[in-house]
Amino acid sequence: MDKMLKVKNIYKKYKQEEVLKGVDITVEKGDVVVVLGPSGSGKTTLLRCMNFLERADQGEMEFDTISIDMHKVSSKEIGKIRQKTAFVFQNYNLFQNKTALENVTTGLIVGRGIVKTKAVEIGMKALEKVGLADRASFYPSQLSGGQQQRVGIARAIAVEPDVILFDEPTSALDPELVGEVLAVIKQLAKEGKTMVIVTHEMKFAADVATNVVFMADGKIVEEGPPKEIFLRPKEERTKTFLRRILPQEEYNI
Amino acid sequence: MEINYKFLIDTFYIVLAAVPTTLKLTIIPLLAAAPFALAIALIRLQKGKSLWKMPVSAYVTFVRGTPIVLQILMIYSLLPSLLNALTKAWSFDINVFDWDPIFYAYIVFTLNIIALLSEVLRSAFGSVEKGQLEAAECAGLTKVQAYIHILLPQAMVVAMPNICNLTVNLIKGTSLAFLMTVKDMTAVAKVSASYGYNYIEAYLDVFVGYIIICSIAQVLFHFAEAHMGRYRLSKQK
Repeated sequence: MDKMLKVKNIYKKYKQEEVLKGVDITVEKGDVVVVLGPSGSGKTTLLRCMNFLERADQGEMEFDTISIDMHKVSSKEIGKIRQKTAFVFQNYNLFQNKTALENVTTGLIVGRGIVKTKAVEIGMKALEKVGLADRASFYPSQLSGGQQQRVGIARAIAVEPDVILFDEPTSALDPELVGEVLAVIKQLAKEGKTMVIVTHEMKFAADVATNVVFMADGKIVEEGPPKEIFLRPKEERTKTFLRRILPQEEYNI
Repeated sequence: MEINYKFLIDTFYIVLAAVPTTLKLTIIPLLAAAPFALAIALIRLQKGKSLWKMPVSAYVTFVRGTPIVLQILMIYSLLPSLLNALTKAWSFDINVFDWDPIFYAYIVFTLNIIALLSEVLRSAFGSVEKGQLEAAECAGLTKVQAYIHILLPQAMVVAMPNICNLTVNLIKGTSLAFLMTVKDMTAVAKVSASYGYNYIEAYLDVFVGYIIICSIAQVLFHFAEAHMGRYRLSKQK
């Protein structure tokens, strides 16, 4: 298998609070890695460190042929990694002053120097994929949360990244809007896109994941295929978490 | 008390003729100050320590903490002598005392606006969500590109009401330029009035002149804000 992204031994501390205590994660091409865990377990921080939105105190990253020290990484190296990755935020973070289409094309035109006509073409295709081609000229303030997040996903896939990182993409949404966003992500999984997803949607995790990582207290407690983790968790910590989160009838997926 | 209507009207035309001077005294300092104010705002917003932070903050505090009249008097009495000494020392053949006093007015108002505008911009940038920069960087933009395309346009909309305020204050503040013998609206009216002691009429004219200019400025800013902030229209509905 192609080993695409490998992160080794990440440590991260905020003041006295140790958030990540030596986390390893490997993502292979076509993998959908779902990261689960109670709040405060460091899932989001792990994801943010992987895209250098937070600077890890220690850790190594191998990305394709690039191999870097995550603490001493230079802004040039960060730029290189970010050209190959995309990030979907919990609260969408669409550019407020740009239309849906411009949100998708700005990264292409400004960040990657693609000519505008070509970028618009790519952008429209991406919006079509998330079912929002008819909203291309709308500003984020004119879109619902679910639509905003779909634009956020369109923005991520338009740059054809090697990996897309999702940070709780449905946590800020009204319950009735969660479905439309998950459907889009599921579609991407079907197409074989490589993704790392932090989420609290258990059923969705079981559906799309090729690999589930369960984190608690800044460490990886257990990882494996979703069937293993959901049906036969080995660690007590995983069992308690699943018992608390999964309704009984869904326990046997 | 009797109003000399003929004088009132005649002087109004004289005041109107001085409007371009007042406008120049407003617009040139504003434009000249903008890049410096932006730089100061960004320096002060930087996280962590920076060599520039201290002197820049001291400058802002100094300008905000002193009356503009004092700044005018200081610069107008100090700067020409200083420049004169310098040109003498380097034996340039320039007589700084021949320069149009409006030159010094530009300098004073620019120095003043740099400090005030930097604070307006600083608070405006502070109001833009942190996630906007993160999203821009994740989309592959450099920090400079993110500021130009994403953060500055949003900050400017937030800053508009305060920049309008600042501009209107500056328009009114330019009346102090007469201290530097600049012939702005206030100065020409006073000169006209002094011949026949028609001060009431002259002041009325200046009054009306400032009200008109300031009202126009406010209307323009209102439209500018609406245009630049059209992306948030639906939120206000």
